[in-house]
Amino acid sequence: MASAPFEYLAPSTFAEAIEALGEYGDAAVILAGGQSLVPMLNLRLVQPGIVIDINGVPNDGPVANGGWLTLPALTRHAEILSDPLVAVAAPMLVDAVHHVGNVRVRNRGTVGGSLAHADPTSEIGAAALCLGGEVVLTAASGSRTVPVDDLFVSYLTTSIAPGELLTELRLPALNGRSGVSFVEMVRRTSDFAIVAVAALVELEADASTVKRASVALSGVSDRPRLADSSLTDELIGQELPYARLRSLGAEIAARFEPPDDVHASASYRLRLIEVLTARALQQAMDRARS
Amino acid sequence: MLTDAVVRTSTGRVVGQRHAHHDFIDKVKGTMLYAADHQPPGMLHGRVIRSTVPSARIVSIDLGAARDLPGVAAILVADDVPHNSLIVRASGGLGELAIEMPILASDRVRYTGEPIALVAAETQQIADHAAELVVITYDELTGVFDPLGAMEAESPLVHDEGNVLVNWHIARGDAQLGFARADVVVEGEYVTQLVEHAYLEPETGVAWIEDDVVTIRASTQVIEHAVEIARILGLPSNKVRVVAAYMGGGFGGKEDMTVEPFLALLAWSTRRPVRMIWDRQESLAASTKRHPMVMRYKTGATSDGRLTAQQVEIIGDAGAYPYLSARIVFAAAVVACGPYQIADVDVRSLAVFTNNVPTSAFRGFGAMQVTFAYESQMDRLAEALHLDPAELRRRNFLSKGDVIPTGETLQTVVAVGETLDRALARLGELPVPSAPHKVVGRGFACNMQPYGRTIWFRDQASAWLTLQADGSLLIRSGVTDLGAGQAASLCQIASEVLGVPLAMVSVYIGDTALTPPAGGTFATRQLYMSGNATLAAATDLRGRLDPVAAQLLGCAATDLDYVDGRVLAIGGGSLGPELGLSLAELVSECARRGVDTSILTVWHADVGTFDPVLGQGDTFPDYTYGTHATDVEVDTDTGEVKVLRYIAVHDVGRAINPMRVEGQIQGGAMQGIGYALTEEIVLDQGVNNSTLFTNYLIPNASDYPDIEAEVVESGEGRGPFGARGIGEPPIGPSAPALANAITNAIGARPTRLPMTPERVLGLIDTTRGKSWNHK
Amino acid sequence: MSTFEVDLHVNGSRRQLDVKAEETLLDVLHDRMGMSDVRYGCGEGVCGTCTVLIDGDPVSACLLLAVQAAGREITTLRGLEGSAPDGLHPLQRTMLQLGGSQCGFCTPGVILTAVSLGRRNPTATRDEIRHELVGNLCRCTGYTKIIDAIETYLGELGTGTIDAH
Ligand SMILES: Cc1cc2nc3c(=O)[nH]c(=O)nc-3n(C[C@H](O)[C@H](O)[C@H](O)COP(=O)(O)OP(=O)(O)OC[C@H]3O[C@@H](n4cnc5c(N)ncnc54)[C@H](O)[C@@H]3O)c2cc1C
Repeated sequence: MASAPFEYLAPSTFAEAIEALGEYGDAAVILAGGQSLVPMLNLRLVQPGIVIDINGVPNDGPVANGGWLTLPALTRHAEILSDPLVAVAAPMLVDAVHHVGNVRVRNRGTVGGSLAHADPTSEIGAAALCLGGEVVLTAASGSRTVPVDDLFVSYLTTSIAPGELLTELRLPALNGRSGVSFVEMVRRTSDFAIVAVAALVELEADASTVKRASVALSGVSDRPRLADSSLTDELIGQELPYARLRSLGAEIAARFEPPDDVHASASYRLRLIEVLTARALQQAMDRARS
Repeated sequence: MLTDAVVRTSTGRVVGQRHAHHDFIDKVKGTMLYAADHQPPGMLHGRVIRSTVPSARIVSIDLGAARDLPGVAAILVADDVPHNSLIVRASGGLGELAIEMPILASDRVRYTGEPIALVAAETQQIADHAAELVVITYDELTGVFDPLGAMEAESPLVHDEGNVLVNWHIARGDAQLGFARADVVVEGEYVTQLVEHAYLEPETGVAWIEDDVVTIRASTQVIEHAVEIARILGLPSNKVRVVAAYMGGGFGGKEDMTVEPFLALLAWSTRRPVRMIWDRQESLAASTKRHPMVMRYKTGATSDGRLTAQQVEIIGDAGAYPYLSARIVFAAAVVACGPYQIADVDVRSLAVFTNNVPTSAFRGFGAMQVTFAYESQMDRLAEALHLDPAELRRRNFLSKGDVIPTGETLQTVVAVGETLDRALARLGELPVPSAPHKVVGRGFACNMQPYGRTIWFRDQASAWLTLQADGSLLIRSGVTDLGAGQAASLCQIASEVLGVPLAMVSVYIGDTALTPPAGGTFATRQLYMSGNATLAAATDLRGRLDPVAAQLLGCAATDLDYVDGRVLAIGGGSLGPELGLSLAELVSECARRGVDTSILTVWHADVGTFDPVLGQGDTFPDYTYGTHATDVEVDTDTGEVKVLRYIAVHDVGRAINPMRVEGQIQGGAMQGIGYALTEEIVLDQGVNNSTLFTNYLIPNASDYPDIEAEVVESGEGRGPFGARGIGEPPIGPSAPALANAITNAIGARPTRLPMTPERVLGLIDTTRGKSWNHK
Repeated sequence: MSTFEVDLHVNGSRRQLDVKAEETLLDVLHDRMGMSDVRYGCGEGVCGTCTVLIDGDPVSACLLLAVQAAGREITTLRGLEGSAPDGLHPLQRTMLQLGGSQCGFCTPGVILTAVSLGRRNPTATRDEIRHELVGNLCRCTGYTKIIDAIETYLGELGTGTIDAH
């Protein structure tokens, strides 16, 4: 199959891209890594009037500054795996990206594209949620910062407004006594997750009780989701045996109504949420302790 | 008439060597030209417009907007097809229905994806756009999507003639008496799924008119479809030529026609070249698949582990049209008892229509599904008898001279026991689990798979060999090459006999105009058929060359050796140079004497008959046997199965090229693993939910261990030099080997494929007294 | 419909070509430039038969617009230089000798992906090779002989018998 015809524009700055978005409105679609958009063009599922290719916008790479790691929208998945700054500041993101696609997908796919595409199984989405990330959305009128939790709205839908571009992902730096984990169940390595769980645990100075914990999941809903903080907060002040983590996993699972699809039923996903959440928290704690 | 392989022992100079030659060189260079790679000037792009509903009357087809689209060269519907019907019958099964399949549906569609119209346009983009503009309105009918439901009296009819396509019965002895003699009887029901061939090259071809002949160069296993294509076009057979490109995989999925009739129609009506490439998604949605089967088994044995009786009922989902279903469920019936001696047997096997996508040939051809069932039964029986599963099998293996349930006597050695021993020996100790929530298990499975076509089809193949003036050799054969080295093997066989170095052999294949018929590449028949034809031709040619050479060299014709492009007198002749003759010199002497060095030989397989009423008679020429053994580790919290080791051993009689034999075994085993664990086309009321390649999970490089292949060479097979076919056999044992290993690990038996983590977890739950709502 | 004049640098040679915005690099390479070693297999970026190297990195040509490849170094399998007299790249030779190719349809993508791995990580383990190849599906070989061929090739790289071009 061949894509329907479209016009093409390759601006060299985000400002130009935003201007073009304003000009073409609904007819326009942004092209970043193309690893989600182009399959849809090839299958004629999307037939835009114009494609605005932002790959020509200079990409200076990740920057760590003032307790935040900033990833420009065009940061490729492969860059996340190789960038020494990211390895130190956001090891969870590195773990997450290890699960994303194949080498070709990682060479092209971008952080901005992944978040804007809002696939409910997105690993990057789960990691960004778990870490308390924010995105910068830029429009002609200026920029606004939105927590990732508010970015994802529903299936492949975000709160990015018409005329806006996602220009950055910002992740808060981790405290020294924290540990992270990213675990995923997939039917075939490199495919979209059945269920993926990102966990962050920060310990008290005593290195045994929990000071802060956060869990985010993908494959469990119409979008990547944070586990209810009222549940994860129950871990605060505790030393946690695995059995407790399992029961917390079950409680978290009970809050979701996961989808049923060709790869797994909703009830199996609930089982996975329970098990993988416990495993992720356990590993995050072990890592925080070591 | 030749029906046995020409007896000839190989010197092992060429046959038996791991040569990397011919098409494989082009393949690693990237210079192999597949079906999509020929683009005749002025080529149009074709596309099939397919039904979007599973069962309906077509109310109207509005072509107006599509026809008006600039760049559209033709849109064809049923009325434009000169002879819009294909009848596949001739399996000889009991009460087999004669069902017409239209090339393009006219008033009725029976499955989602059924072809309704064709477009040819200047670009693919225009063809795709035109397809979107065609408006088809349907009056939807109630469909039936489950073969068991389709057998009920009140079921909607897929075809007015009835829903049961064919009904086979194979019986020997008296099963009821056999069960009466048994001390233990085990029963099981096994369910297999719909799967796709998923060759990396989708269905593709190019057609053009040349000299008023419709010429189709396509990715096909069977060029002989030229005759059917001519009938569809209403042309005499000499007006259609089919050329088979080297295929990017076939596995049975390019055995029926795919793009060919559509290309022929479009090229004929536009008088321009046309290319058609089915989208991957189209191939997943609408190409033929493997039969899902429900198999009910009842097996009896004495307390000392001798099988006494087996009763089998097989129900295969044919989908909406017959294709090769009748033959496939027949093959399933023939080998339903596996490589075991059982005196009293009763097997029934049915193909039933539904409004699902049609099913047809796929590596294993019915013999695969039943392997899952009979090898699960053997393990069940071993457990019931408290016998080691390997020992139980050893007590019951068939041997040469035994009579199988069809009443036929096995003519060649049955080395299945050796394959079992070697597989288990290679596994060694069972590893320990890597974590507390994990368990490990071991399983194995044996199989038998026919090679060669059903005997009553009177199979034959021909080969045309020309030894040229410079001593180089041309082989012409109608064989098609799926990628397994079908053509290259013929080169090795001819080179072995004639001493022509491989680099001096060229092979031309798969062209109804220029190569002698070889009968299609399927049923693991080509090494057996065309290999024997090539061997016979080479031997015939030697029969002409030898007297000339013997005279020139002054030795007996039996003392000649053909090697490296020369003919030598063994031990030295009385005349001629010590280094013998070059083949060029020999050919030139032959020319002087009027001895023709070009030869066409036809090789015939056994013939026989089968009585469908008695369920007795001749079926297949011979079988290939093997054993796969595996260790798995199961995560008891998620149900995930990790394959730790995988051994596959087959008796190939004689390996013409050990490297390619191993390759067939490894690739077949891996396809079998995909079948066992991940692959499934999920249909929901006839609508395919697995049309993205990202959702159809064929194995990738990282999820499974190496396939450790071992080749047993019993020396006895009915192919050239004692070879047995190995194309299909290795796919069979994977699913039962893994099922047995999982059972061994978790203590509960999977009876449904694929064995997804979800299903395995469901089974683990049953062992813990839990149950939940899993798929 | 917009058309762009682009400079495509393929396997060391340059071609100027008019392409439509929506034409993928796969379509242009295969259908218009005769690069039959870049093949359609799925159009989803899953199967790997259209793998090419862009500035040395593997990408799916079916997911890249031809306009996006303008001015970049595009390498297809046929662009790999072989120093041996048989014209084969060392990995092509191990693939041939060890039976890494059956139907051959996946072979160009497999070789390009592995060559790029060899440049980045010549000491890759068997497991790392496997993981790198998850996006190059093969339906014929069961992968064992492909991994054998790549492992052997990387071994030769490591011993300095050959270099990674
Ligand atoms: C074979 C394969 C396997 C994959 N496996 C996984 C996987 O396991 N996990 C996973 O998470 N993903 C997977 N992906 C998807 C991959 O991660 C994509 O790269 C990602 O989802 C989209 O990023 P992109 O840069 O390619 O975006 P594009 O495809 O270019 O764009 C995606 C969408 O986002 C919009 N967009 C892109 N950038 C911006 C921006 N800066 N501002 C606003 N809108 C924007 C586009 O308009 C488009 O609608 C896979 C893809 C393929 C082909």
